[in-house]
Amino acid sequence: MKRSTTRKVKGISYQILAILFASFMLIPIYQAVITALTSPSAGWVSPAPLVPTNVTFSNFINAFHLVQRLPIYLLNSFIYGIGVSLFSLIIAIPAGYSLARFKYRLKSPMMFFVIYANMFAPIMLLVPLYVIMKAFGLINTYWSMILAGSVFTIPLSTWLSVSYMQTIPVEIEEAALMDGCTPYSILPRIVIPLMKPALVAIFIYAFITGWSQQFTLALVLISNDKMMPVTQGLYQFFSRSSVSWGPLMAAILISTLIPVVLFLLVEKYIVQGLTSGSIK
Amino acid sequence: MKAKRSTPYIFLLPLLIAFGLFLIYPLGKVVGDSFYKFSFLNPSHKIWVGGANYSWLFTFKLYNPFFSYFIGALLRTILWVGGSVGLKIFLGLGGALLLNSEFLKGKKVYRTLLIIPWSIPWAMSAMIWYWTLNGQFGLINSIFLHLHIINEPIAFLGYPTSAFISTFIVDAWIGLPFMVIMLLSGLQTIPKHLYEAATIDGAGDFTKFAKITLPMIKPVLLTVSLLSLVWTFNSFAPIWILTRGGPVTATTTLPIAIYNTSFRYLTFGGVGKASAMTIFQVLLVTSVSLIYIKTLKGAES
Repeated sequence: MKRSTTRKVKGISYQILAILFASFMLIPIYQAVITALTSPSAGWVSPAPLVPTNVTFSNFINAFHLVQRLPIYLLNSFIYGIGVSLFSLIIAIPAGYSLARFKYRLKSPMMFFVIYANMFAPIMLLVPLYVIMKAFGLINTYWSMILAGSVFTIPLSTWLSVSYMQTIPVEIEEAALMDGCTPYSILPRIVIPLMKPALVAIFIYAFITGWSQQFTLALVLISNDKMMPVTQGLYQFFSRSSVSWGPLMAAILISTLIPVVLFLLVEKYIVQGLTSGSIK
Repeated sequence: MKAKRSTPYIFLLPLLIAFGLFLIYPLGKVVGDSFYKFSFLNPSHKIWVGGANYSWLFTFKLYNPFFSYFIGALLRTILWVGGSVGLKIFLGLGGALLLNSEFLKGKKVYRTLLIIPWSIPWAMSAMIWYWTLNGQFGLINSIFLHLHIINEPIAFLGYPTSAFISTFIVDAWIGLPFMVIMLLSGLQTIPKHLYEAATIDGAGDFTKFAKITLPMIKPVLLTVSLLSLVWTFNSFAPIWILTRGGPVTATTTLPIAIYNTSFRYLTFGGVGKASAMTIFQVLLVTSVSLIYIKTLKGAES
């Protein structure tokens, strides 16, 4: 009897704590949604109502009038994101193969260097990256953002690739080696097809991280409005003296939809990869 | 696997080239630049100044009679990072324990709700938070006003102390989902029979937490906290969007100071001085990384 009441009390109190926690996590998202749904004619009052009174969807159309280049910004962010993902894969897969399958003197130092490289952030290298990209004539091009962006996603991509390869039994590859295959044909023919979940995880991880880092990198690498990623593009409207919050929040919601949906689809793989790599 | 000696290096080559060109070379450039005086606007016009940029770090004062601009930023960074990482660990562990509890219903829903903030680009989250913290119409003010916790709206980002606290809470909000999900996967590896045995022995919830959960989760907690520590030291976009380091210098952490000195305060700053600051930022991050790598090595053996 006593036991079942304590269970009930626990159940209820945990539920309350979980709801409080979830509310904290959802506050800004709720803010964005109610602002985007509030008719501009409603006018701002303080305190603002907690539930929108004059619901409208017109802000989602006005978003494209306010931020006329919104489709272009989104396309740019997409190109930068996919470029960073592809680059990370092209580099992380062979590097992961090298670190997971071969024994050599530089292996262990390289592993630790990869972990160390993961600690760098764009802010530390903004000026030299700008100077290098300028020397190559790449300022205001897709290449500058993709090359500079990949540097910060390659380390963890490599780590994910190593830890996934370690879970694939090596026997198949050894048999192929006996049959006269070389490591250069084993990687594309045998290893890569077996790595599909890891490929997806790396692609999405790099895409999302790349998408997030676009803002800081674009501060120095992109000044041409037509080349801006969506975060920087929207920031221009955000830093004006009078901000149209309704359409701006609608624009933010529209442009966060892609990364959120992608992440929800593959979150399982990413967490698996991260935990098997960095924790166990 | 048996192969020629050069084979593993050939597979590693693309990585080495990418790191060499866009990580090690720029890092070397930062070291070199820290001995010159020059502006971002004209990077080819460099004047050798020796160690002057470094002594400037400790002598140049801005609105603060006690500490130099750099030392102030450094101390502020430590406090700010402490606040943010402290919140991330405390709430992260709390959230993970809740999601791992057998008493909680609707775990899948909570998990999904947690993933959504994780995938929003940081700059977007910061822009939404800026509006949420708005001194008149923001949701935080309207919740507090409706609950009668306050009578007058507060301009959270307008005062030094509240801006400092608000920015690190936003940063913690951004980093929390990662913490919860990682710690949760750590908690899930603890064998259930340990708790069952403890229950039979009559152990209470707190004893179970202190004697089973905490020791079992310690390696995960340590690695995740160290990772989070480095990322938080590097946090730039959230503060930049919320306050640009202000009011005055209240939220000017080291990354913000580096950015402002390179690109905004051209009258007193410049790339050379910012590069000298970056060296300290790199040293700070390197020392945490060394601890991190040591922990990983310890876990391996």
